[in-house]
Amino acid sequence: MESNSVAQQEHTEIVDQLGIRSLRPGRYFGSLPQYYVDRDHDKCIRCLVCVRQCSWDATFYDANRNIVYNKYENCVNCKRCVAMCPTQCIRIREWTDGFRDNDNWSDKNIRGIYKQADTGGVLLTGCGNDKEYSTYFDKIVLDASQVTNPSIDPLREPMELRSFIGRKPEKADSSRELSTKDYPNIVAEVPIIFAPMSFGSISYNFQEGLARAATNMGTYFNTGEGGLHPNFYKYGKRAIVQVASGRFGVSATYLKQAAAVEIKIGQGAKPGIGGHLPGEKVTAEISRTRMIPEGSDAISPAPQHDIYSIEDLRLLIYAIKEAVEYSVPVSVKIAAVHNVAAIASGIIRAGADIVVIDGFRGGTGAAPTIIRDNVGIPIEVALAQVDQRLRDEGIRHCGSIIAAGGIRSSADVVKAIALGADAVYIGTAALLAVGCTLCQQCHRGRCAWGITTNRPELLPRLPADFAEERLTNLLRGWSHEIQEMLGLMGLNSIESLRGNRLKLRGVGLTKYELDTLGIEQAGR
Amino acid sequence: MKVVYPVLGRCINCHLCEVACVISHSESREPISAYFFEGLRFNWDQSQNYVDPAQAKQAGAPIPLSRCKVWEDNVSFTSTMCRHCEVADCVLACKNGALYRDESGRVLLNEDKCVGCWMCIMACRFGAITRNVEKQNVPGVKSNGINHHCDLCGDMKIPACVAVCPTRALVYEERDYPQEMESEITIELPAEIA
Repeated sequence: MESNSVAQQEHTEIVDQLGIRSLRPGRYFGSLPQYYVDRDHDKCIRCLVCVRQCSWDATFYDANRNIVYNKYENCVNCKRCVAMCPTQCIRIREWTDGFRDNDNWSDKNIRGIYKQADTGGVLLTGCGNDKEYSTYFDKIVLDASQVTNPSIDPLREPMELRSFIGRKPEKADSSRELSTKDYPNIVAEVPIIFAPMSFGSISYNFQEGLARAATNMGTYFNTGEGGLHPNFYKYGKRAIVQVASGRFGVSATYLKQAAAVEIKIGQGAKPGIGGHLPGEKVTAEISRTRMIPEGSDAISPAPQHDIYSIEDLRLLIYAIKEAVEYSVPVSVKIAAVHNVAAIASGIIRAGADIVVIDGFRGGTGAAPTIIRDNVGIPIEVALAQVDQRLRDEGIRHCGSIIAAGGIRSSADVVKAIALGADAVYIGTAALLAVGCTLCQQCHRGRCAWGITTNRPELLPRLPADFAEERLTNLLRGWSHEIQEMLGLMGLNSIESLRGNRLKLRGVGLTKYELDTLGIEQAGR
Repeated sequence: MKVVYPVLGRCINCHLCEVACVISHSESREPISAYFFEGLRFNWDQSQNYVDPAQAKQAGAPIPLSRCKVWEDNVSFTSTMCRHCEVADCVLACKNGALYRDESGRVLLNEDKCVGCWMCIMACRFGAITRNVEKQNVPGVKSNGINHHCDLCGDMKIPACVAVCPTRALVYEERDYPQEMESEITIELPAEIA
């Protein structure tokens, strides 16, 4: 068997040198192309911009024939060449000669099997769940004020988006001298926070852009599990820092300079499994940030090995609270799974000030495709259930809820907040804002858009000031839209919408689904 | 005077500045005509070696001659072009008076006077001058061509390269002329020659 695979390796190397990828013994279909690069050779001026911009080894120039050509099997449809071509002579199309029509065995399934039969490995991917599960956000509609209650024009009247996130006092002291004890809260001027994305999974520049945009808009960014680069400590007051199962980059300074500390238990794209940053991606800067040796694999275990129960979680929460001297809120992030309401209740009772629920549409830098596509539950139902459970138990004020995973627009933000969230995390939306085309190749670390890579030659493709500008624009646009939506509902503060499910109605949902979401059927 | 400066660490090696340069100096100002029909000038190959134009045409690898040039390292890139120095060594070095400074401060070329002696290339401290090998002014002599360098796109408000750069790696601005640039030309000879 081993000699077989060695022979296979040699074959592969030689065939690669020859540049004929389809001729691999026994692997006829493994390198079957998925995309066809349609280049108009009459318009191509051979400037070779596409050749230089392609980071996937898919575009080449043949000087003898004076022609730009592609290795189609390497094309991932990231559209970098399309965006950069000065004569617009490139279009990327599906490789149309697919397999015989079959609704059960889609091309994706067939290709997956070919690839696994070739390699015997686990298929990896990036970004979020792309399967066609129904999205509840698209089946929920908002209310508006007509005649009997006035709508508000946000351009003429004050409209409050400021959100306080963290534990609230049980009741305000009504005596003349206010003696209510305030718990540490984070104050977001817009209820939209950048999702945890670690330095290592995203580029240095992008993280700096996130930090600066969060500073501009008075909201927060999350460091992810990769620690905080010393250069970014100046954005510490806008940083939610993560303590994950690998404990990368965690130190007393790291915790103390942050606005909030987040214990990461799970991630929506890959609930219940850990992470693995390959050694070759651990560059000098990443090794410094993660506090691990350069070139060593950064492996996050699946569970936090000191947390096997709610009681254990309480120990860690209070250890962190002691470390930061009770000055900042502590958050716990879990993936949305079955029984999420009971788990969230336990987390709040364990002393967490914030519980983050990450839905199954949540993105990732790298996850097994099979897990990303099949594990977890939608954020809408998880959110509704958690909010209801905490209210029923009378502990809703003890912690805030942040919804993550699948927030695509300002309407989703409004719906999530009406379903009970105090704020939302946006990850994929932030990536899209800086040029991501959702080619789902983040795990390969050679993002042609310079977003999910730290290769020095690709880094300048996304300068930090571009990211800052575009992310600030996104948040500003969304906050205007949220204000408009609040105004038309007759509300002048995001607080009035929080958990206000009467503003929501369902369209095309079963009674059981409406019950689970805690909303009424449209028309009633 | 405003000239084009590269911003270090922002170049992504796309060479769109060169494309824009070729187009802005073409008659049609349109990429396809500029590249295919309007006096192709070849002199660098893919590995940045000088190629004789006749050979390049035979090899079918035409690369139009732009006035800026992206220098490539494995991981860092930068585009360079003429800085129109306040004390322009090339103007001082030009024996025919082909290079001159116009009233706006730009260092320009009188094409009819250049004989291709290349003292300007020797003198330029930025390596910003290249050879336009398709033109020659000395009949009957196998010429090296004439001087070819950035003219800041003549009539355009900002140079084409600055306008197209996708990461704003080129800026068109006025800066104080560095003191050390005003010194006389000094040439340090390698040890074996000295």
